[in-house]
Amino acid sequence: MGAANAIEARAVSKTFGGVSALDRVDYELAWGEVHALLGENGAGKTTLSNVFAGIYRADAGEVLVDGASVDLRSPADSIAAGIGMVHQHFRLVEPMTVAENLHLGSPETPRLVDQRSLVRRSEALMDDIGLHVDPTAHIWQLSIGEQQRVEILRVLARGARVLILDEPTAVLTATETAELFGVVRGLVEGGRSVIFISHKLNEVLQVSDRITVLRDGRRVTTRGAAGATARELARLMTGEERELAVQRRAVGGAAVLELHGVSAVNGRGLPALHDVDLTVRSGEIVGLAGVSGNGQTELAEVIEAMRPTTSGSVVVDGEPVRAGSVRAVIDHGVGHIPEDRIGVGMVASAPVKDNAVLRCYWSDPEVSSGIRLRRAGVLAFAQRVVDAARVQTRSVHATAGQMSGGNQQRLVARREAMVADRVLLAAHPTRGLDVNAAQEVRSSIIDRRDAGCAVLLVSDDLDEVIEMSDRIAVIYEGRIMDVVDADEVDRERIGLLMGGHEVPA
Amino acid sequence: MTAWRLERRLDADARSAAIARIAGAVLAFVVAGIILWFTGRNPLRIFWDGLDAVIGGRSGIEGTTLRAVPILMTAVAVALSLRMKIWNIGSDGQFLVGALAALGVGIHVDGPGWLVLLVMAVVAALAGALWILVPALARAYWDVNEIITTLLLNFVAVQLVAWAALGFWRDEGSAVTQSTERVPYVLAALPGTDQLTIAVLVPFLLAFTLFWVFRSTTIGYEIDMIGGNPRAAAFAGIDVRRRIVVVMLVTGGIAGLGGMLQLSAPGAQAMTSGFSAQFGLSGFIVAALAGGAFLGVLAGGFFIASLFFAGLVLQTKGLSVFIIFGIYGIILTGIALGEVAARYRLVRVEPEPGPGPPEAAPSPTPEPSEEVPA
Repeated sequence: MGAANAIEARAVSKTFGGVSALDRVDYELAWGEVHALLGENGAGKTTLSNVFAGIYRADAGEVLVDGASVDLRSPADSIAAGIGMVHQHFRLVEPMTVAENLHLGSPETPRLVDQRSLVRRSEALMDDIGLHVDPTAHIWQLSIGEQQRVEILRVLARGARVLILDEPTAVLTATETAELFGVVRGLVEGGRSVIFISHKLNEVLQVSDRITVLRDGRRVTTRGAAGATARELARLMTGEERELAVQRRAVGGAAVLELHGVSAVNGRGLPALHDVDLTVRSGEIVGLAGVSGNGQTELAEVIEAMRPTTSGSVVVDGEPVRAGSVRAVIDHGVGHIPEDRIGVGMVASAPVKDNAVLRCYWSDPEVSSGIRLRRAGVLAFAQRVVDAARVQTRSVHATAGQMSGGNQQRLVARREAMVADRVLLAAHPTRGLDVNAAQEVRSSIIDRRDAGCAVLLVSDDLDEVIEMSDRIAVIYEGRIMDVVDADEVDRERIGLLMGGHEVPA
Repeated sequence: MTAWRLERRLDADARSAAIARIAGAVLAFVVAGIILWFTGRNPLRIFWDGLDAVIGGRSGIEGTTLRAVPILMTAVAVALSLRMKIWNIGSDGQFLVGALAALGVGIHVDGPGWLVLLVMAVVAALAGALWILVPALARAYWDVNEIITTLLLNFVAVQLVAWAALGFWRDEGSAVTQSTERVPYVLAALPGTDQLTIAVLVPFLLAFTLFWVFRSTTIGYEIDMIGGNPRAAAFAGIDVRRRIVVVMLVTGGIAGLGGMLQLSAPGAQAMTSGFSAQFGLSGFIVAALAGGAFLGVLAGGFFIASLFFAGLVLQTKGLSVFIIFGIYGIILTGIALGEVAARYRLVRVEPEPGPGPPEAAPSPTPEPSEEVPA
C-alpha cells in the first residue's frame, strides 16, 4: 500500500424518499489526480459529491479522508476536512468585490477590515495558488469564467486540498473551458486532488487521470483515462437497451411543425440555438435527446412564440409563428408541458381551478365568454381535468402549490394535452414522477399522437426517448447533431452525439 | 416526545384571516389599555369616549364617513395594484395632483356646475394616471422598482401643491397666505345628511365593481395570475408588460379622482400645502392589511377613519396627540400581527421514527442540482 487516498468512499448508499440515488458506491481519489465522475442526469454524480461536501449524509457506507474515517455532517465539517465544492450555480455576492467575496464568511478574515488589506491578502492568496483575478473588480463585472475562478479561489482559501467541480464547463465558452483545464492541471501538479463531474465525454477524456462511470446510482466501472474511448464511455453511461413497450405506427402524416434554420439566444444573450432544422409530422413523436441545458428550453420557447428567433422561421400548419403571438399559437392548438412546471407552467399561489383553465380561459365557451368568467364552467372544467389526470387534491379550490410535485405535473400535463390539437411539446414530462404516474403521462402523450397530433418530446432520459419516439433528434450545444429513425437506433451512437461527438452513421 | 410546531399554510381562508385580524385588534386594545392604565389614565373611559364620539350620534358617524372617503379612495387604488403584486406607495402624490388638476379646471372654467364637476373628475383621474405613468413604464419595461419611484413622486407632488398655493394659483385676497383660489362648485349633498356629499358613494361603487371584476371576469383573473406568477401569465399569452402599465395607470387614476372628491366637498374647495393629511399612507396601510381584498378595504378604511375621528374628539378632551398616535400604532401592529398569524397554524409533531437525515425529504428527484437552466 502506498500513501493514503485523498478521499475514499466505501459502499456509500443514499436514498431519497424510497428512490435509490446511490447504491453501495466505491470511489477512490488519489492525491494529485483528477478523477472524473461521469454519468447521465440522475446517475448519482452530484449526490456522491454532495456526500463528500457534507451536504448530504450517506445512509450507509463509509467515507475516509486521507486514510481516516470521517463523519461529514455539514459543509463546515467538509471544509475542515479540506474538501471544497464549486457548485454549478455560483454562490457569490454580485455587488461586492472579488476581495470581499474571498473573505466573506471566512474565520480567518480580520475582524476589522479595510479594502486595502483585503486586496493585499487576496493578492497574496492568488500568488500562492497561481490563479489571478482583479481583486478590486465587482463580481457583476466579471465574465462567467472569471466568476468561476473566484469560486475556486474562495474554496482554496479555506484550505481545501480536494476540489469538487460540479459540471464546471456547463456555463463556460470553449476558450474558458480550455483555461479551466489549465487551472485544474496546475492544481493537481501542486499536489491537490480534483473530482471533475461531467457528462461531456470529450472533456472528461481530456482532463482526467481516471474515470468512474455511474449509472442509476451504481458504479459501472473505474478506469484510467489513457486508452479509453468516447464510444466505450458512452455505452457504459447509457447502459443496455430496454425492451420497447410502445406500439409504433407507420408515419405518413403531413408536416405540422417545421423549423427552418432557427437560431436564437438565451436569457443571457448568448447563442443557444444554431441553425436548427426540424420537422414533426402529424401522428408522429419526435424525441429530442440531449443533456439538459443544450438549447432544449430555448427551442420549446421559440416554438411557443415566447422567445424571438435571431434567424430562421418556425412554421405550424404552414403558418409562420410570430414572436410574441403566444395566444395565437395556443389557439392554433399547440400545447406545451414546460420543463419548469412551477416557474412557468402554473401559478402556485392560485387555486387548482385557476390553473386548470390557465391556457384556455379566453377561448373555451364553457369557461368564459371572453370577458365574463363562467364560474360554474371553470369549476366543471377543472374537475374534469383533475379527474382525468387523477390529480390528488382536497378540492379544486385548494392552492395548487400545496399539491405534491407529481400532482402538479399531472395537472399541467393533462391541461396541455387538452390544448394540443395540432402540436404537443412535452419537456421532461415524466421527470419526478413515480413509475405508474409516469406511465399515465406517457399514455396521454401517445393518445395525442394517435389523434394526429405532432409531438416533440424533450427528454434527457434516453430510455424514455427511445421507447416513445418514432424519430430521434439529438441536440448538443444548440445544434441538431443528427435525426435518426427509432427503428434503426444505435444507442451508443446517440450517447456519443449527446456528448458532442460527431459520428458518421 | 411530542412537540408543537408552527406550520405555514398556503391558503388561509377568508374567514380565519378576518378572525385573526379582529383578534389582533382586540389584543392591541388590551395592550394599549394596560399602557394607558399604567400612565394613570382610565382606559375604559377613554375607549368609551372614543366609541361614543364615533357612533354616539349622527355627527360622529358623518364625521367618520367624511374622513373615510379619501382613505378609501387611496386604499382601493393601492389594493388594485397589490392584486398584481405592485406596490403603489405614491397614491398620496396622485391624490394631490388629481386635486390640483381638478382645481385648475374649477377655477378657470365656467359652466353648469354638474358639467364642470364632471370635467374636474375626469381631469383629476387623468392627472393621477399621468403622475404614475413614468413609474409604470419604468417598472414594466425596465424592471425599475416602483416602490421607490412612486414614493419619491409624492414629495414632488407636495411641492407642486405648495407652489400652486404660494404662487401660480394663489388667492391674493385670502387671509391665509398659503392657499389657492377657491373652486365655486361643490358636489351635491347626500340626501338626509348634514355634511356628506355624493362623493361618499364613489369608493363603494369602485370597491364593489372591482370585487365583481376580480370575481367574475377574465380581466381580474389575468391580473391575479400576473400577481401570482408573471412567467406563467406570459405562458398563457398575457401581455404582462402592457397589463402592468394599464393597471398602474388605473390605480393612479383612482387616487387622483379621490383628490377631486376631497376638493369638491363644501368647505374644502381650495388647496393648501396640508391638503392631504397623508391619506395615501393610511390608504396604503388599509390596503396592505386587507391583503388586496376590496370589501375588506371598505371595512378597514372605515375602521381607520373611526380611529382618527375618535382621536380628534379625544384631543379636544385633553388627551395628548402623542398618546393617540401611540394607540394607533399599537392597534395597527396588532392587526398586522393577526394577518401574519392567519398564515400559520399549530401542528403536533410526532418524533421521527429513525435517525433519518433532515435533508432527505424535499427532493423529488435524486439529483436536483443537475438541471442546467441555460
